[in-house]
Order: sequence, then C-alpha cells, then structure tokens
Amino acid sequence: MGLDALLSAVVELVGGGSFLYLLAGVLLGLCFGVIPGLGGTTALALLIPVTYGMSSLDAMYLAGGVMGATSFGGSITAILLNTPGTAPNAATTFDGYPLAKQGKAGMAIGASAAASALGGLIGLFTLLLFIPVAKEVVLKFGPAEFFLLTVLGLAAIAVSVRGKLLRGLIAGGLGLIFAFVGSDAITGDIRFTGGIDYLWDGIPLVPTLTGMFAIAQMIELALKGGSVAGDEAPDAKAPDAKTMKISGVGTGVLSVFKNWPTLLRGSLIGTIIGAIPGLGGTVAAFLAYSSTVQTDKDPDSFGKGNIKGVIAPEAANNAKDGGSLIPTVAFGIPGSAETALFLAILVLHGMNPGPAILLYNEREVYGLIVALTASAVGASLIGLLIARWLVLITRIDVGIVVPVVVAISLTGVYVLEGRMADVLLTVGMGILGYLMIRFDYPRLTLIIALVLGETAERSFHQVMLISDGQALAFMLNRPVSVILIVATVITFLLPSLRRFRQKRALVK
Amino acid sequence: MRKYLQPGAIALAALAATPALAEFPMDGDVTFVIPYNPGGGFDTIVRTFAPALEEALGATVVPENIPGASGTRGGQEVYRSDPDGYTIGIFNIPGLTVSEATDRDIGFPLSDITWIANLAEEQYGIAVRVDSPIQSVADLCNMGAPVKLSDTGVDSTSSITAVIMFDILDCPIVNVTGYGGSNDTMIAVMREEVDATLKPVGSLAKYVESGDLRMIFTLTEDTVLDGVQNATEIGHPELANFTINRVVGGPPGMDPAVVAMLSDALRVASESAPVQEWAAGSGTALTFMAADETTAMMSALSEFYVQYKDLLAPQ
Repeated sequence: MGLDALLSAVVELVGGGSFLYLLAGVLLGLCFGVIPGLGGTTALALLIPVTYGMSSLDAMYLAGGVMGATSFGGSITAILLNTPGTAPNAATTFDGYPLAKQGKAGMAIGASAAASALGGLIGLFTLLLFIPVAKEVVLKFGPAEFFLLTVLGLAAIAVSVRGKLLRGLIAGGLGLIFAFVGSDAITGDIRFTGGIDYLWDGIPLVPTLTGMFAIAQMIELALKGGSVAGDEAPDAKAPDAKTMKISGVGTGVLSVFKNWPTLLRGSLIGTIIGAIPGLGGTVAAFLAYSSTVQTDKDPDSFGKGNIKGVIAPEAANNAKDGGSLIPTVAFGIPGSAETALFLAILVLHGMNPGPAILLYNEREVYGLIVALTASAVGASLIGLLIARWLVLITRIDVGIVVPVVVAISLTGVYVLEGRMADVLLTVGMGILGYLMIRFDYPRLTLIIALVLGETAERSFHQVMLISDGQALAFMLNRPVSVILIVATVITFLLPSLRRFRQKRALVK
Repeated sequence: MRKYLQPGAIALAALAATPALAEFPMDGDVTFVIPYNPGGGFDTIVRTFAPALEEALGATVVPENIPGASGTRGGQEVYRSDPDGYTIGIFNIPGLTVSEATDRDIGFPLSDITWIANLAEEQYGIAVRVDSPIQSVADLCNMGAPVKLSDTGVDSTSSITAVIMFDILDCPIVNVTGYGGSNDTMIAVMREEVDATLKPVGSLAKYVESGDLRMIFTLTEDTVLDGVQNATEIGHPELANFTINRVVGGPPGMDPAVVAMLSDALRVASESAPVQEWAAGSGTALTFMAADETTAMMSALSEFYVQYKDLLAPQ
C-alpha cells in the first residue's frame, strides 16, 4: 500500500509541473540556509500562506524542497565564514572553518554536500523501515525518556570540552540559566524576566545563536582584518592557496565514502534525535560530532580541520528530517519545527491530521518523503556545481564581508517574528559571543544547554508527577530508559577509559 | 479586471457624494491580527476566513501573525490601533478572560475591546484508554487515588476547565502539564502515564475513530455521542458553560456602522462554501454570533470565571 503511494508520488513529481515547485523549494531552501538567522522554519512559515492556492501535493513538494536543502545551505557559511547558516550547522564550524582557513574549503564543501545527501537518504530509508512500527516506537518514548536523553546530551557536553572542562561547565551553566528564563513549563509562573514582557516566552534560540555565531564572528573578523583564507593558509603548497583555483571538491566527496562508519553513525544519531520533539537538529549534529570525537583513535586532531568533523554533523542534520517524520506518520504529531509547519499546511488545506494520518493523508506524506529525498540530493548537486565560486567568499576582504553578513543576519532575525527586541538580543548575544571567543569559552556548549534545559526541566517535573515522586523506580521499569541510563554512564566513562588505555600503552 | 474595477467605482462614487469622509472599507487593507504563530488553530481559522471575508467586504484582508506572551501581545497590538476598522484581531478566549479574572496583567482591559463576532465554538469531552476499565466520571473519581490528567500548560483553557470541573465534583486530581500539544496529551493517555484527558470533542474524536481512546463524558447539556454521559446526566449542567471560542474584536470605540459591516461580512464568509467545506473536513464547529450577542457572551464569560478566581490564582 505504502509502496503504491511512494511510486505514484515519484511519477507525479517527474511527470508534471510539480518538479518546478520542488526546484523552487530547493533554491529557496539553499538561500534561507546560507543566510545566518534565517532557516527552514522561517522559509516554511513565510510559505504557508502562499501554499493556500496550490494543490496539497504541490505544497508538499515545495515544503520538502525547502526542508531538504536548508541544512546543506547552512553548512556553506559555517565552513567559509565560521558562521552557521542555520542552528544545526553550528557543530560544522568546529572543523569546517579550520579547513577553510587552510585553503581546503572546497574539500570541506564537497564532504558536506556528500554527507548531507547520503545522511538524508539514510534518514529517510530508516523512516520507511520504521513506518510499520512507528506507533509502537513513539509509545516507548515518554517524559522519562525525554528527560534521560537531555541528561545524555548534557553529559556529552561535559565530556566534549576536553582540556578546558571548567570553561565548558561555565558556558553550559550559563546556557541552563538562560534556559530557565520565562514562564515555568509546569506551573506557568513567570521567572527571571526582570519585568520584561519579551522574556515571558523565554530567551529565543535563533537570535541567541545568530548573535553568538554570526555577529560574534563578524566582530572577530572585523578586528582582525584581511580575509578568511587569503594570507594565512599555512600550507602554501595547497593548490588553491595562492592562485584563485579551487580544488579538492572531489576529494571531499570521496572522503565521505572512505569514512563510512562516521557517516552511518552520524545519520543514525540524527534519525533518533530527530524523532524527539523539542531537541532537533542542533542537538543531533552536536551529539554526532561529539560521539565521533569520543570514539576516534586520534581525538586531538578534531577542531583543527579533521574532515570527519564535517561529515558527522552534516550527515546528522539531514538525517534528522527522516527521524522527525516518525512521530508524524505515527500520530500526526510534529517531531520538529519544520514538521509542525508541514502539518499546518495540511490543516490549511482542510485536512485534519491525527493518528490516522497514513490512512487519510498517505498521498501527502509520501509526497513529502519523495520531495525530501530529491531535495537532499538536488541541493547537494547544485551546491557542488557552484562550490568553486562560493569558496571565493573566503578571499574577499572582511571590510566587505562583515557589513553584508551583519546586515543580512539582523534583517533575518527581524523577519522571523517582526520584533525589534529580537534584534537587540542578537546584538547583545553577539557581544557576549565575542567575549567568549576572546577568552576561549565554548559557545556551542551554551547553545546546547539552552536547548536542553527547558526539555530537561519540563520532562523531569512530568516524571515526578506521573510516578508519584518515585522517578528512579519508574525509569528503571522502562527498558528504553535503562538503555539511556547505561549510555549516559558510558559517555562519562569513555574519556577515563581512553586515558587508562593510553597509560597502559605507554607503560608497555 | 472587472472584479477590481467594481469596488473602485463604488469607492469613487462614495468619494464624490461625501468628499470629506472616505467610506470604510475603501481606504486601504484590513489587517487581521493573529496572536499566535502560523500553523496553529487561530492562524488556520483566520487564513481560511480571509479570502471569503475579502470577497464579502470588497477590501483586501491581510492576516498578520503577532505571537508572544500567550496571545497577549497580539491583543495589545489590536487594542492600541486606531478604531477605524482597518485593524481587527482574533482573541485567545477564554484564555485572556481567565487571566484577567485572576488579576494577571494582560496589558489592556478586555471589556474595552469592541467585539465584532464569534466565529466558532467548541465543547469539551473526557477520554480514557480504549481498554481502560473506567466507564464514567464516577469511576474516575472512585479509583482511590487522585485522577491523573494530561495537559499542555496550566494556563491552557482545557487545564482550567479540568481544575474547575473536578473541584465542582469534589474529586481530587493531579494535572500533569507540560505536554507539547493536545495530540501529545492524548498519546500520554495511551502510554498509561495518566488516567484520562479533557480535550475538545473534535480533537478527541480523531483518536476515538482510530481506536486508541474511548470517550466517557462530554461537557455538554445534551447527548453528543450515544452511550456517553453528558453534564446534565451527572447533575451539573453548568459544566456546559466551558467552551473554546474564536472571537473577533477591534480597538475600543469603533463606529457601530463599521462594526456592523465587519460582522455582516464575517457572517457571509462563515456561510461561504470554502469555509463550510474546511469546517466539515477539520471538525470545526462554526457557531456564528453577531456583535451584540458576542459582547453579551464575553461579559457573561468574565462573570462566570470570576467565581473561580481563588481556585485558579497561582499558588
């Protein structure tokens, strides 16, 4: 049954003018992805009224095109300017930007394109496998599991800041403090708002991230001068260090196939985290990155331009789209902000998505899956074609880059909700972010803590209420919870284990 | 082309007749404020009504999302606009009514708003897991432990309704709030985290149809579903007062003639084929009320919720 719908969605896409909607979606997604502050959610929110006059299937092709393309678009700015285009690309900056500084931007973009496309395909393939059991899977994940996943995420933060544990903990603590501003998820009490209405809904993620990364990075670049890659490529023998010739794109694509375990792990982490409402791509990419570092034989090579550090997060943030559709096909509930908007499009077209979504909206669901697949591959192909020109950005004088990026990102933040306060917050966070760069505090740690904090607090309170105060006993009775507890313990033990093994090797 | 010419011609004629006074709504676009993000219930109903309203009114209608602070920001925006009819909005009712009844500052007095129309009204029901032994509200209250219910937030209307209803029945509850959306609260019942959930009948119906949940009670005066108890049957017909309303209003001091025009246009829109079709497909109960009736309902609602002020005030 599902196969028929899948086939007919493919046929309709290839046959009619629908292909144009998909292409428009992909191009729009790439643009919104590249621009810091704008992302897939903004693009879809702006598109919702436009889809009103389209057929529901064409609306799916447009939405799928956007969803599949934004995260690859965002990786381009992450690599070239150390400024993630969308939130999930933040982890890509760790190794992508060092590669660009070494004159290997082409290789990094090649790897990101291939990892995005393949990660997207793996995520969607996993989704297709899961459709028959999606209901059971969703029913296994309740507040207890959500809480333990956030604990696992926080544990990953703690061990990921190797060498500067204290700074990492300070940044994470600050992120948690930010996360608890606004109305309490359980009691509705307004906390830590200082009497400012704007803070009732908490400190919003997108302005914070745009400030911390885009604005902070532009302050840093402006003070340093020159260009991103121009004079400081240490490897003078790199073919594109002196001349304007861009190379290495092919090497980047190949590196993804060579490092297939990294690709696979990143994709699976992305799919799983994508299925958890509220966590999303930022956490997925970060966990994929940190698990790649933790399990690598040479963890010290990361952060200095290890190509695996680009592959893992990019595979994860495209695979998460497949994962975020698991709760959607099971019960018609969103797994991410983007799938929430996908459901909104169905509602606007007079449909009533619910637990019977696969029964009544099979056409639209499979249409979206096909569009996502085509988009993940299409965006990467387009990206590869234009990569050689994109890389030139790293050679433009920062006197031109900085004002353009600052203006575009602040406009992007404003467009999102039309609130001037968001722009002010972005600037404030930009200054904080610059201070963090200057004094070497990890910024992404703060962001991840901000994302996890709210889910952690809310789901912990829920577990306490549900279990009549016996939270631990309740969790130990649930198999998925036990697995997550074990995973958290292992995350904490891994660094010590590695040190122990290294010591033993040295003694020998 | 003709479609555009006609209102233009009328406008010109009007201008010629009363040169000093431009007639509503020929002066510009009508902004329809939605106090939530695109995609939610408020957004959907406004965007569905907008094209039909445009046709009925003969002016361009622009839906504008002004989300934030539980729907108060959008409400404040409407409150502060000029009362010329070019800015109207949909209001979070009875969410704002309850906030005001419990002395929470929403930034403007709700009674000052010029009420234009009520578009839809939904009633509540209570559902349990399909294989649960519980058959009635009495069964729920006689479990020997407080009834666990799932909800989105403490200030959500369904949560407020649950708190008041079970207080009237003298039946203790634990309200597990914090779920992401009303679908999540129903899945929480399926996961056996809670005993039951109180939600709009239309939302519960989807899960009853799919065989996951079973309805045991509706907060209505009459029987909605065969074999399911209603408020009158348990001796508390006042429970039928709890409803969700989609109410349209404008800034204080609007010209009654403009209000009547807008109200009539909304009535025509709600009777139009596309809106009716959408309502049937999405399980929305269209309940049109004109300006006077809506204003009366709003003040009755305020009086109703003030009774429960002590129960609802944050501890």
